[in-house]
Amino acid sequence: MAAPLLALDRVRKVYTRGRIVRRPTFTLEADLVIDAPAIIGVVGPNGAGKTTLFEMMTGSNVPSAGHVYVAGTDIHRVKYRERDRLAIHYHQSYQVRRFRKLVPSAFLQASPTAAPMVHLFDEPQFNLQDGYIGFMLDFFRKLRAEGRLVVLCLHPTASWHLEILAEISEQFLLVADGGVTRQPDFRTLVKEPRFRNYLGPEMTRHAESLAGPA
Amino acid sequence: MALIEAAGIHVRFGDRVVLESIDLAVPEGEFHGLMGPNGAGKTTFFNVLTGRVKPSRGSIRLDGRDVTGLSSHRIAAHGVARSFQIMTLFDEFSARENVTVGLPAFRARGFDMRHAAANDSGFARSAMEILATVGLADKADIRARDLSYGDRRALEIAVALAQGPRVLCLDEPTSGLGSDGVQRLAALVGRLKGKLTIVAIEHDMEFLFALADRISVIHWGQVVARGTPHELQQNEWVKRSNLGRFA
Repeated sequence: MAAPLLALDRVRKVYTRGRIVRRPTFTLEADLVIDAPAIIGVVGPNGAGKTTLFEMMTGSNVPSAGHVYVAGTDIHRVKYRERDRLAIHYHQSYQVRRFRKLVPSAFLQASPTAAPMVHLFDEPQFNLQDGYIGFMLDFFRKLRAEGRLVVLCLHPTASWHLEILAEISEQFLLVADGGVTRQPDFRTLVKEPRFRNYLGPEMTRHAESLAGPA
Repeated sequence: MALIEAAGIHVRFGDRVVLESIDLAVPEGEFHGLMGPNGAGKTTFFNVLTGRVKPSRGSIRLDGRDVTGLSSHRIAAHGVARSFQIMTLFDEFSARENVTVGLPAFRARGFDMRHAAANDSGFARSAMEILATVGLADKADIRARDLSYGDRRALEIAVALAQGPRVLCLDEPTSGLGSDGVQRLAALVGRLKGKLTIVAIEHDMEFLFALADRISVIHWGQVVARGTPHELQQNEWVKRSNLGRFA
């Protein structure tokens, strides 16, 4: 059987402060497996760790503990220049690949795939006027149809951002309170108190109307 | 077989990947539009197509011949002409002289022959024909610096046409033009359409949707959508946007 597209195996990231007495200032834990191609929406308040999560998935931020497997390969053990052949991180309209080179590339392994299997879109700039949204959403569908995993992080500030999330995402990851929880569909996500808290009352009402009657 | 065939074009500058993977096949005689948000990689792709940037991976074929990594003047010799976002005219030369300097037969004689050659009837006739094509026949003797902005744009295209290209690459041809200028340019491009293969980067969607045979939408260094203007306008989000107006 083929390896899952993405597996976060008891991943934990801790940022600390203080040189002698180290106090954790940020903790993120994730343990999940995504077997099949999908389009996954990622939501959560600012500072909850969405970008850290993306960085760990694409091999640019080493977890304090645990492993990230992309298509069965530990991405943090792949040669730096080849990590983008496993997973790509798009920040807005650019892709930046900066890796802290802790181990010489010669000691690392080659990427098993030529084209990236996981595509992470970190807050793509959507603009209702120019119509590119439609082309972007079609592109996500095309990648999924080609057997890739698409992860879309969106910070909903307008009601149509929720429409995009509801239309395109088959499932969700809610990043909040130091953890990552999986939500099987939009309706379940909207019932989640931490998501409602994050959206605020007005956006929550809009999300409920998109989710349909309970 | 397509006249232009780009396959898997990948360009990175250091840590930054500008083009992830671009595939584009343009058949002879097609007007192919390129659109996309700023920073999407359109101009970099043009630079690869015209030999100014060498791709890290991927290939460019022109009429079946691999021209990947050739210098810009060798690619130009294969029949690819380009007009730029920034004007590249000789301001002190007349419109006719600017076009004459672009003629390959003239260039073969060397630049020191300018004054004698510009009066040479053969060159003069070719230059006048080209100026007539772009609607500048009655302004042939006006210095480039004294032409209006719209006329300068037309002259730029005339200089590109002087090469006798098979492929004309236009980088934002309508930029800086008022609505009259855009209409004139649309009429000019309409006359050129079908006679040569045109690839144009353009932000003016009305212009592009009216003239292009097919459009590729570039984003994240990849072609995210491609089709005829009609096909692209079927998208529900496009209908909701300003692009929907041009249907």
